[in-house]
Amino acid sequence: MAGRRVLLTGVSSYLGTEIARGLATDPSIEYVAGLDDRPPRARLDGVEFIEADIRSSALTEIVPATRVDTVIHNKIVRRPGPGVSARAVHDVNVIGTLQLVAACERTPSVGAIVVRGSAGIYGAEPEAPQFFTEELSRLYPLRTRFQRDVGEIESLFDAFARRNRGVVCTMLRYQPAIGPTLDTQITRYLSLPLVPTPLGFDPRLQLVHERDAVDATLAAVRAPVRGPVNVAGPGTIGLSRLLRRAGKAALPVPRALFATATLAARRLGLANVSPDLRRLLLYGRAVDTTRLTEEVGFRPRYSTPEAVEDWVRSRGSRRVTSAVGELLPGR
Amino acid sequence: MAGERIAADAARGPSHADSSGAATGPEGEPPPSEHDRPALPLRPAFLFLRSLRRGLARGASPLEALGGAAVGVPGEAREAFEAALRRLEGDFPEDEWGFDEGFAETVYPLLELMYERWWRAKAVGVPNVPGHGRALLVANHAGVLPWDALMISTAILREHPLPRFARFLVLKWAFDLPWLSVAVRKLGGAVASPYNAMRLLEEDHLVTVFPEGERGVGKRWSERYRLQRFGRGGFVEIALRTGAPIVPVAVVGSEEIYPKLANLPAMARVLGMPNFPVTPTFPALGPLGAVPLPSRWRIEFCEPIETAHLGPEAAEDRQLVLELSEQVRETVQEHLLEGVFERGAPFL
Repeated sequence: MAGRRVLLTGVSSYLGTEIARGLATDPSIEYVAGLDDRPPRARLDGVEFIEADIRSSALTEIVPATRVDTVIHNKIVRRPGPGVSARAVHDVNVIGTLQLVAACERTPSVGAIVVRGSAGIYGAEPEAPQFFTEELSRLYPLRTRFQRDVGEIESLFDAFARRNRGVVCTMLRYQPAIGPTLDTQITRYLSLPLVPTPLGFDPRLQLVHERDAVDATLAAVRAPVRGPVNVAGPGTIGLSRLLRRAGKAALPVPRALFATATLAARRLGLANVSPDLRRLLLYGRAVDTTRLTEEVGFRPRYSTPEAVEDWVRSRGSRRVTSAVGELLPGR
Repeated sequence: MAGERIAADAARGPSHADSSGAATGPEGEPPPSEHDRPALPLRPAFLFLRSLRRGLARGASPLEALGGAAVGVPGEAREAFEAALRRLEGDFPEDEWGFDEGFAETVYPLLELMYERWWRAKAVGVPNVPGHGRALLVANHAGVLPWDALMISTAILREHPLPRFARFLVLKWAFDLPWLSVAVRKLGGAVASPYNAMRLLEEDHLVTVFPEGERGVGKRWSERYRLQRFGRGGFVEIALRTGAPIVPVAVVGSEEIYPKLANLPAMARVLGMPNFPVTPTFPALGPLGAVPLPSRWRIEFCEPIETAHLGPEAAEDRQLVLELSEQVRETVQEHLLEGVFERGAPFL
């Protein structure tokens, strides 16, 4: 049997590059194509880079020509970079996905699609169950623009899977990722000199380590399953505990002023706290990962507290309290 | 787990007190009674002050007494100080539900104080709560703040031979409030949702639920101890699915702590509360209105109703579910009326 052929969109993002590396070193995969509108940051051996805008209709010709059997959709923008309008983000997320789905329809060789989606679809609600299972994605209205984007992406792939029974569509619902080399909305927020937090709230956060984020996609490529799968490090961590672990000072802001405070941080170019993250910092969110471990067969190496620990270690931050502890007389 | 730690702590308490008592005088003071075991962080301070007082009473000079009292302290004080430091560094356990053992242990003395002195609570039939494994505690509900859930937990921690911290499900409304939401979650509370109940039971916890829900919270003074409808029997379904025994719990006293005279639904809508109670102290006294009245409590744990032998498929049987739900409701109601009689005057 010939090796598998894989196409990866969004290859130039950090996680995209890492996923491409993992694919290229997998002996069972003979061909890897990486698609993006800008070249990857590092040279990628064994990956054919295709420069194309995912929003363009050229995709309907590019994808069939690669004769791939697996498509990984990683071009979903979570954190708009500077100077990127909300409309452009929406275009990439929804029109890009639409073009990709259309291209997959024209590629009869495709047998599996893995989407690196978001657990943001569950939202963050005060009354939500403490752990979302995959079937609970429609409990609450989609409140933010990003949530609606994700909702649209999911329904596009749902419709595709219904029309093409032979294709296995895996919708990976990622919790926010964290890690030593990752630069995301959350890591930027947590790196603020004074971290604004909603006064009187201490949300349970659940994160996934960057290594696990890459490996979960690779595991899903190896064993694709139908439907949504939550991806997260087991366990949760309270925001206040996280900040203490990181030796960061919190700046509690009354809930009514929290949006203003985060907006100010954005104006100052310090951090961009999206409405999604803002709600997450109020109410938190955790998901159930039974499907990931039992059906995909992937067990994250880092639990949420361990992922945070790893991130803290990499920052090499000094604990204020450890200095105080050393002043105590020895036992 | 917290319960075990707390229990171990309680067992250790007197022996600690012994050693510091011995430090104050060679003639041997009578060991402090088992009754006074102050809070974890307060204990060193308490012991220090007690030793100091005793030293002075025996006629030692203040300096001597101070020195004598200090002998017993450093280890304890250091321990407490280090624990505080560890917390400051975020080095404390917190489970995936956000239950914070350290916080619960710190607050426990306060709960005990409320239980013992404020409400002079009496627990009956505590051994009916299974010592290990899952169980669903079903109780009557009253009051906007989940005092009844906390007192049920306290009763189990204090009186059960195998103490452990019961988790409880509270109205979702509490989770949209600053501070209260954090405190509730750190003490083992979760949103009243069948998904949470299932998961907690599958993890072999004790789970306290109040099937009266919002209707219980909104009871008037004249309706106290009259159980409202038990929803659609969702709690029975959950017990059947997980094979958890149901322990009916009748809490007498909780329905008198916030005597509700009237409800202002318009106010409730504006504030997003399930209802806006008018009590003798609220809203007249503002936040002070949240101080519960010191009624006398009696918490009765009834015979458990086993569900494991019925199997998870029984959850689909509407009739069985409704019958069991009614049976539990009647048991709680019966014991409530008995309990009110047994207890006597509510506030004396």
